[in-house]
Amino acid sequence: MEALHLDIAPGRRYAVVHEPGEPPRALVVHVHAFADEMNKARRMVALQARALAAEGVAVLVPDLLGCGDSDGDFGDATWDAWRSDVVNACALARQMASERWPSRQGLPLSLWGLRAGCLLIADVMQHVGPLASLVFWQPALDGKQVLQQFLRLQSVGMLLGRGPRDAAKEAPVPARKQLAMGQHVEVAGYRLHPALAAGLESARLLPQPTQTAVYPIEAPPAQVHWLEISNQPQPEPNPAARAAQDAWRAAGHIMRHRRVPGPAFWQTTEIEEAPALIGATLGAIGRAGA
Amino acid sequence: MDVTTNVLHTLDEVLSLKGRALTFDRASPLLGAIPELDSMAVVSLITTLEERFGIVVDDDDIDGSTFATVGSLVDFVAGKVGG
Repeated sequence: MEALHLDIAPGRRYAVVHEPGEPPRALVVHVHAFADEMNKARRMVALQARALAAEGVAVLVPDLLGCGDSDGDFGDATWDAWRSDVVNACALARQMASERWPSRQGLPLSLWGLRAGCLLIADVMQHVGPLASLVFWQPALDGKQVLQQFLRLQSVGMLLGRGPRDAAKEAPVPARKQLAMGQHVEVAGYRLHPALAAGLESARLLPQPTQTAVYPIEAPPAQVHWLEISNQPQPEPNPAARAAQDAWRAAGHIMRHRRVPGPAFWQTTEIEEAPALIGATLGAIGRAGA
Repeated sequence: MDVTTNVLHTLDEVLSLKGRALTFDRASPLLGAIPELDSMAVVSLITTLEERFGIVVDDDDIDGSTFATVGSLVDFVAGKVGG
């Protein structure tokens, strides 16, 4: 495992590479979750990357612009900047692989996302060349919901922070209004660029239209592994998720949906692990190889 | 699984209460009584309840009293599921 600073304009991006002990049989690039969900999930992502490396898969885990240890402030990040980061990370992964392991050219590349990271994947998959598989961990179906949940930090904070004396004070301008006016907003310590909010809000977990020019016969559409994590003994089916899964099938992707037991580690107050998810993800990428 | 049990399981999981929430009943106080339940945890809780129950919680729906007790929270969720 090594930490790198990749040169991606503008600025540098911090990334961790998890390498198997011998030349790999597959490559994976991780696309992390949004804001605090990314932080809470760090441990699980690291555990998974290590487990994949142990099974012969090289994994690149970059921090997007303004996130983690990468250059830039969170307030500089826009949806388009993140899209570029993912596209560049894929190109770099392929390039690094062909340089490090010249005996293994054309290694299959898969994208593995968590929550809103899956929205980014759906948004850029057409621009990163042939993909073997897409692994979605608890994918966000709709960026609008992710934004709503994020902005809720401000409204709940205001709600709980306001005592009887505050009632007389003027309520601050709601975040949505500020964003609509093209202004940054400050939510729970995060400065949010209006272009990030707008891009996130319009993101949907739907496949890019398949173009026969992009997918030659030898490189079929990526297999999609949709992994849900829940500790509910009898989880209710989610119609919106089913509709999204059907859309991927209709676009020619093999869609495998699975529910594994585990805590919502991207949300929980304490850092938690979901060992069943590690095994399921290995099954999706590691053992199959592609 | 009924709504109350489901809500208690969600509460326990999101706040990492290690089973404590499973001993709560309708009268058990939440906001102010559980140190783990700060504003960030409330947001995580709402998000998880949205996903578990397939409901949508608007900003207007959220009121301090919703999180006063287990009972008030369960009634809120049940009302959303029903409506």
